[in-house]
Amino acid sequence: MSPAFYNKVANHILSRHAQDLPDLRGVTILLPNNHIAQPLAQALGAVSQSTLLLPKMVTLSDWAQGVVLDAPIITDSQLSALLYQQLRKQKWFEQADLWSMTQELLTLFDELTHSLTALPNDAEVFAAAVQQAYQARQNSTLQLEARLVFELWYAMQAGNELDTARAYQLRLAKLAAQAQQPLFVLRTSDWNALEQRFLDEYAERAEVTVFDLRNEEEISSRARFIRTALSANDTLDLRTKTTQLHDILPLGDTLRFFAATSLEQESRAAAMQVRLWLAEGKRDIAIVAQDRVVARRMRALLERAQVLVADETGWTFATLSVSTVLMRWLDALQSDFYHHDLLDLLKSPFIFADIPAAERKAAVYQLEQLLRKQGVVAGLEKFIALAGHEVVLHQPLARLRQAAALLEQNKQKTLADWLAALRASLRVLAIDTGLQLDDAGMQLLQALETWQQELAGDEGRYRFAEWRRWLAQQLDTKIYHDSSIDSPVRFTHLAATRWRAFDAVLLLGCDADHLPSVADGGRWFNDAVRSSLDLPTRSTHAARQRDDLLALLMLNECVLVTWQKDRNGEKGLLSSYLEMLRDLHDLAYGDDLSERELHRYLAAEEARSVDLPQSVQPAPSVAQEAVPASVSISAYNSLVACPYQFYARHILRLNELDEVHEGIEKRDYGERVHDILRRFHERYPFVSEQPIDELEAALRQISEQVFADLLKQDFAASAWLARWFKSLPAYLDWQLANEAQGWRYAEAERAFDWELEGVRLRGRIDRLDVREDEKRVLDYKTQSDQVLRNKLLEPGEDVQLACYAYAHEAADAAFVSIENGKVKLVEPKHDVPQLAQLNAERLVQVMGSIRGGAGLPANGIDQACIYCEMRGVCRKGEWQ
Amino acid sequence: MTNHLALDPKRSVVVEACAGSGKTWLLVSRIVRLLLDGAQPSQILAITFTRKAAQEMQARLQLWLRDLAMGNDATVRKFFAERGLDNLSDVQLQRARNLYSYVLLAQPGITISTFHGWFMQVMQRAPLNADVMQGMSLLERAGSAQEEAWEELLEQMRKQPDSVEAQHMQWLFGECGLFNTRKLLFNFLGKRAEWWAYTQGQANALRFALGNLRADLAVDMALDPVADWGMCGNSEEVLLAFVRQLASDGTDVQKARASELEQAWTDSSPEGRFEKLWPLLFTQKNDPRTGSPFSPSSKQKPDAEPFLRTRDLLQASLQEVRDTLAEQQAYRLNEAVLHCGVAFLERYQALKQQKQQMDFSDLEWQLCRLLQQSEHAETMQYKLDSRYRHVLLDEFQDTNPLQWQIMRAWFDAAVAVDSQPTVFIVGDPKQSIYRFRRADARLFGVAREYLKEHFAAHEQRNNHTWRNAPAVLDVVNAVFADHPEGFVDFEPHTAEHTGLPGYVAVLQLAVAEQSKEKTAEDAPLVLRDPLTTPRDEAEEGARQKEAAQFADLLQTIATDWSVNEDGKARRATYGDIMVLVRSRTHLAVYEEALRARHIPFISSRRGGLLDTLEAEDVQALLMFLITPFADLALAQVLRTPIFACSDEDLMEIAGSRNKEQGTSAETLPQSSVLDSHSSWWQRLQHLADPSSALQRAAELLQRWLALADKLPVHDLLDRVYFEGDVLARYTAVLPHEMRAKVTANLHAFMEIALSVDAGRYPSLPRFLQELRELRDSRDDAPDEGKLGTAGDAVRIYTVHESKGLEAPIVWLLDANAEKKNKEGNDVLLDWPTHDQRPSHFSLYADQASRGKKRAPLFEQDAAQQAREEMNLLYVAMTRAQQALIVSGNSKGEDKEEKKKSPSWYDRIAAAISVIPAQAGIQVIEQASRSETNPLCRPLRGDIESLDSRLRENDGRGVVALPPILPTGTRATSNTLQQQRGIWLHALLQHITEGSAADENELQHHLVIPSAEIDSLWQQAQHLLTSPQLARFFGAQHYRSACNEMPYVNAAGELKRIDRLVEFDDEVWVLDYKTGDSGDPAPYRTQLAEYRSAMQAVYADKTVRCALVFADGVLSEVL
Ligand code: SF4
Repeated sequence: MSPAFYNKVANHILSRHAQDLPDLRGVTILLPNNHIAQPLAQALGAVSQSTLLLPKMVTLSDWAQGVVLDAPIITDSQLSALLYQQLRKQKWFEQADLWSMTQELLTLFDELTHSLTALPNDAEVFAAAVQQAYQARQNSTLQLEARLVFELWYAMQAGNELDTARAYQLRLAKLAAQAQQPLFVLRTSDWNALEQRFLDEYAERAEVTVFDLRNEEEISSRARFIRTALSANDTLDLRTKTTQLHDILPLGDTLRFFAATSLEQESRAAAMQVRLWLAEGKRDIAIVAQDRVVARRMRALLERAQVLVADETGWTFATLSVSTVLMRWLDALQSDFYHHDLLDLLKSPFIFADIPAAERKAAVYQLEQLLRKQGVVAGLEKFIALAGHEVVLHQPLARLRQAAALLEQNKQKTLADWLAALRASLRVLAIDTGLQLDDAGMQLLQALETWQQELAGDEGRYRFAEWRRWLAQQLDTKIYHDSSIDSPVRFTHLAATRWRAFDAVLLLGCDADHLPSVADGGRWFNDAVRSSLDLPTRSTHAARQRDDLLALLMLNECVLVTWQKDRNGEKGLLSSYLEMLRDLHDLAYGDDLSERELHRYLAAEEARSVDLPQSVQPAPSVAQEAVPASVSISAYNSLVACPYQFYARHILRLNELDEVHEGIEKRDYGERVHDILRRFHERYPFVSEQPIDELEAALRQISEQVFADLLKQDFAASAWLARWFKSLPAYLDWQLANEAQGWRYAEAERAFDWELEGVRLRGRIDRLDVREDEKRVLDYKTQSDQVLRNKLLEPGEDVQLACYAYAHEAADAAFVSIENGKVKLVEPKHDVPQLAQLNAERLVQVMGSIRGGAGLPANGIDQACIYCEMRGVCRKGEWQ
Repeated sequence: MTNHLALDPKRSVVVEACAGSGKTWLLVSRIVRLLLDGAQPSQILAITFTRKAAQEMQARLQLWLRDLAMGNDATVRKFFAERGLDNLSDVQLQRARNLYSYVLLAQPGITISTFHGWFMQVMQRAPLNADVMQGMSLLERAGSAQEEAWEELLEQMRKQPDSVEAQHMQWLFGECGLFNTRKLLFNFLGKRAEWWAYTQGQANALRFALGNLRADLAVDMALDPVADWGMCGNSEEVLLAFVRQLASDGTDVQKARASELEQAWTDSSPEGRFEKLWPLLFTQKNDPRTGSPFSPSSKQKPDAEPFLRTRDLLQASLQEVRDTLAEQQAYRLNEAVLHCGVAFLERYQALKQQKQQMDFSDLEWQLCRLLQQSEHAETMQYKLDSRYRHVLLDEFQDTNPLQWQIMRAWFDAAVAVDSQPTVFIVGDPKQSIYRFRRADARLFGVAREYLKEHFAAHEQRNNHTWRNAPAVLDVVNAVFADHPEGFVDFEPHTAEHTGLPGYVAVLQLAVAEQSKEKTAEDAPLVLRDPLTTPRDEAEEGARQKEAAQFADLLQTIATDWSVNEDGKARRATYGDIMVLVRSRTHLAVYEEALRARHIPFISSRRGGLLDTLEAEDVQALLMFLITPFADLALAQVLRTPIFACSDEDLMEIAGSRNKEQGTSAETLPQSSVLDSHSSWWQRLQHLADPSSALQRAAELLQRWLALADKLPVHDLLDRVYFEGDVLARYTAVLPHEMRAKVTANLHAFMEIALSVDAGRYPSLPRFLQELRELRDSRDDAPDEGKLGTAGDAVRIYTVHESKGLEAPIVWLLDANAEKKNKEGNDVLLDWPTHDQRPSHFSLYADQASRGKKRAPLFEQDAAQQAREEMNLLYVAMTRAQQALIVSGNSKGEDKEEKKKSPSWYDRIAAAISVIPAQAGIQVIEQASRSETNPLCRPLRGDIESLDSRLRENDGRGVVALPPILPTGTRATSNTLQQQRGIWLHALLQHITEGSAADENELQHHLVIPSAEIDSLWQQAQHLLTSPQLARFFGAQHYRSACNEMPYVNAAGELKRIDRLVEFDDEVWVLDYKTGDSGDPAPYRTQLAEYRSAMQAVYADKTVRCALVFADGVLSEVL
């Protein structure tokens, strides 16, 4: 605590008003923020040592708020709706985001209102002034800009209602006009034009005393150092400056810098520092969060160390989960209940708050399983149909339908009507019930209601999408303050630290991008024009932040500054102000103020170790009764490719969840081709003596039938069909050649279940051909012959053909490659009966070993692992 | 002395500077010179290509200015002497010192930006009456929007299958297939800016483009070339003439062929004739058959000329038909692609418009259009906050035509408003490797000419490098000396550090062993037992060998080599080694070799984070938390180090159902939904005798499930990391060399959770969906975590990624790979560098359908491609400061001979062979210790010092962590009853203040719900007028009154009185209570304090205190 500044103010006021004691109610002290009322009051009490009725201690805007005006006031929401409608009429804004433009313009109008005592009465005059400020030649674009701003601004002021800025202006004027009592003013940086005018006018009628921290000379030598370092307008170089500092003590004990190499490190260092301060007994700790992302991370770290952080800064509603449910509801509506949106909505804890949470969740999971299985992409009615007999789903889905009916998307409505409909739908879905259980939720509901009321008189009509954008913007700008946490550790922002003294201050995220944080001026005018119109410019904002920083450093004697000197591989620079300060210190004392302790604490924190066995390649052995008695061909293939994969799939019986496919995939294509060929050969087992044209027509017709449902769903299906059509003539040619060699189609899709020694082998073959007493099993593949040949390169690695041959006691087996307009037979290089026999023997033997307790190692080669869904289970890649 | 000119602040300069010559040094030096010369920071605009480079430039500038401010006079003078300015005056000296704070605090400051960053700034000030997008935000992730547009396009076509576009699409599907169609259209979309430029000013872009193309290809779509040819008497004449010539004096074969030819013509349809004749006269590769039997036989030889003439004539006439067909096909393709492409583009644009976003191409194109209207261009000169008098452009060879046009328009406009800037351009066309990003290195020359002409720019070349050791440079010079593949602008480089030890080695090509298969042939067929014998991964034998060689030598480097740092030798570490590959395709093999030898490496694969096992683990966990029935996700989670469950644990769960059915089925929850089969999660919760690992998992997962829908993703993850002890457990389980990387990735994942969509509308399902999209999108997927400078790991980059980097030791891996042929299905573009628009824009599918007419363009394209290939090699080689090692693998001798062009390996090996023998440059067979390697100098002493340095870093005294101090409290939220009390007080206060007594206004002001306000309002009115209270609220009754009155008492405590009413002889203190009337006892002390304080103030009056309850009862407390 540094009460010196307050004591000085208190002393001054008490001696100036000695005759009024103990009743100082006649005095007014203007504060930069409400936080300092308390310490100031305490200082007054401490200095006077007696009971005092305190002066009015108030911020200017609060004070003005109490002034009654005669004219009605138009709310910001009404004003922006009006302006939006004005803009909508302007033709060249068609491509623009009108809501954000509205907001930008309103800010500009406010600034104009603040800076200009009276409206210029003529657009030409205004335009000329602007032109001159641009130092531009005659330029119609610049004129247009000025005139447009002028006219819109004028139009907005035309009504007899006052906008907020005008009201503020009038209130201040009234306050100044009634000035009687002495006024004391505390500040650290410049007022804006309007406020300065108020002070000047006030001073004409009553006494005004200003305490400006920037001018507080003789408080401490430390303060002098900081001012020297940060001073705005001198031209001294660093070396000269140091010569002026000979009598000043170094700052090493009061100010330190931590340069982090990552976001994580910065947050962790900051959190650690706070914990150390708490351990030292510091009780009033401010975290000035210049970088919100780091602040978020840090808050989580502190919370896990059981330190709650109070928050003076607040969050926009857009970042809160209470708004998520709202937006997801509208998303779901707009996307016709696209399944992701729908599930996301239903998984929100705020919906159907009148149903027990467990029940709601059970219902969602049920729905999710159903829609995954059935592959339903979107459409509420489809989901309702899907629910069928699942009673738990009936009520929620019906309520969604009912709520959806309230928001008619194809209508144009007033903002208030849209809001009313939204609120009604929230009631149907019991989202309002859910939100009411949450503080932020409650405020959100309140905000919706307020907007609806405010806008009740607005007659503009909006499309659903326009309204949604409006709502999004409202949620983007409205701030939620969580006042539920009471803690000695608090987040705050730089401007809110004016005149405050803390036990310790952490300046978080002080890189050059975040301090000063200067918003771009936007599309209207430039800084030259703005400054000639007396509007705040970039440098005004920057100067204010520098002044605030200066004051903060002067008042606070335990400060840590953190920033990231590396951000994702890019260099991060320290804020210029702080850099200058640090350099000066370095030059003067050979100490660049680097923090030196925290690294050790971080290292100690990281040094935590756990005793766990190192990861190794697994090879589980399985209890006999868990070994499957029957194995499919694909399971056997998996067993060969990687025993662990087999284990995970067929012993643990793990499967990937079904995904809802939104487009057609290669696998679907393969299935359809199989289906087409099966149907075709059922009709034409023997094609040779048929006219080729007829065959082709029939095959095409069957193909179109098989693809019909896909074609209805998805235009890309026709590409797949075209792909097949490309190979279709070749297929017929191949089949003819086949028959010419004496092969006859025998049957298709025959399942087999073959009893081997101690294990059954299951499967289904695509097709069996016969030639006299020869048999040949065929398997259609929509892959190129090259790929298939590779498959067969090493005997025994792909078991499919061999097992088919075994099951059907066929001497021949082959893949039929149907791809790229070609149809080719791909046969194993080795003797098929021998392969078949060996494969069967191997299966028996391997299954026997597994039953005997042999381990199933995860030994797939990369080729297998690339497509293996079990990588996370076998943990390949992290073994020793 | 060269700097003298290049840094002259008054001149415009174009510098072509080789790799390592210090381009950034020069550019930043120039900025300093400009500043010293009096330029204001806001007058300087410096543009470079990446944010990273911009940041580095800024940092370097700041550092130098700082040195100037802090250094002594000699330092400052030396600084400028090095930068071409001798004899600094005292005034200049002083100015130099002041620059630091002057520049740091300037508003607006220096603009050091990327093209896109600066374009965005300019665009934000676009004039209102310009027909450009206004107020849009930048869409950085274009991938998913393009996907979405594609889906929409297809959906549109599904609904209207008869539309022109749908018909064209249908044709494309049939002709090219889905995959290639997509590729064509996406590539078209990728070149949208060029398309706009090409068709600008055209009312009907499509008609314009197709019209041009018809002319370019000289096609007449109405023509049927086959019919024309087949029905033409001339064709028949030539054919029959050839048949005769072939038969007369011909061999038997010739005669047979002659009758075949004749036979073919008998087909009645022209198509049939053509189809039959073609294969007879042309090879399968469509080359004319000129050998036997179509070469003159011995008998024909004496007078072969007519024979040959007729043959060639015939073949030429067929070839012409085929060419015409190809052009027609090409046109047809373009017709289809452009129709669909334009529709696709419209969709994409509309989609962005709907979201109020623009992408980089929009930005460039819109800005280009804007600035090409001179009125607007001039306006923009005025509109920016900064007025640039000095423009500096870095890496100019990477500029694309639109960017150059924007800059040019900017310069022209600046001239027009009389503020011609000085322009400084630096770049190296030899390092231009971004054609795929539409860069055009030829623009460097164009810009140079432009600046020479209009800005009297001085031109300078620099081939002196500060980076590479002479040995490395010798090889670079040898490779490029004879200007291979259009590398014409190369001049030999000279080295600054002539004494720097260097080493270049080309390792013998790795070749696969061939013998294995042969021996296997006669052996009896035995199938592999998968349980005992893993499958051989020998397919890539050669590559594996190279990888083994690579990893072995790396180990040697880390033990035996030394490198120079700041002029002193120190031991080499893994961190000194940079590995370069052309593409990442085969990287897995090399990484595997590194892993096997426990060599730490980072292959911060662009966009690779989400595919790492650890990131997948976290995703699986999050997935489980929103879909607890996802068994596989749960199994993965259990197996991660977070829980480190064993396979026995998994089997316990998998098998548990059977065991439990009989005994404890009733413990399973009643579930109508899942009774058919229970999920792993349900089973896990009800295991009879879980292992400690399973038990821990069940507990933690239960806890996290409860948090999953309440906490934002980041906070949830933080809890998971913390409670699950995630980092420590991963560290414990993983091999040592992987730890740093995995930790970095886990942190990087956390950062994504913080930043995805800036945390707007957060929810876990949406987050996971976003991750899926990120993962699928090639360009936008997040990178792996950075190890920071501390990590001692080999870094692996593609050559493209290595741009701007350097390392003591560079290994060029897989250097014998053949360069990939340009893939098909793309846009063919000709944009003459001086023109405002491309002169040609078309698409092509594959080699076959290219046709002849566009051949020169294809050749031009291929030449540029080949040149860029050389640039890439140049970039790769010049990364090496001291050592360059080149390795490669080969499929075998025969493959080597068939190469179309020499590989990088071949070029470097050839270059070395012509360099006179010297130490440090060699082709070696075995990666082993070599006498001739000057870097192979083990430094014993250093090892110790390095180790001790490390020890010092982590061991500097152990500190005790601060204790956990529970701090802060969370207030329970007010009950409605309490809240009503608060509202009531507020109402009372405001009503009695008299300021705003309107019910509506107060409701609004105090944010009271409308459901509450009426009853509260009545209650307030009731209180105010109740007989007991009226005297305290009616102004006529008292002298003065004061609400919420603060005071300090003598003890310095701050208090507040709800209402203080002053009468003539007494003062009342009222204290509001929220509840209905009750016992005042608990409030006695509080009121006694009020009383004594007020007594001190109102010494001459009686002070009385009372409680006012919500029901209107006033109860005086004595
Ligand atoms: S990832 Fe590879 S090793 Fe692991 S189970 Fe799958 S196939 Fe086997």
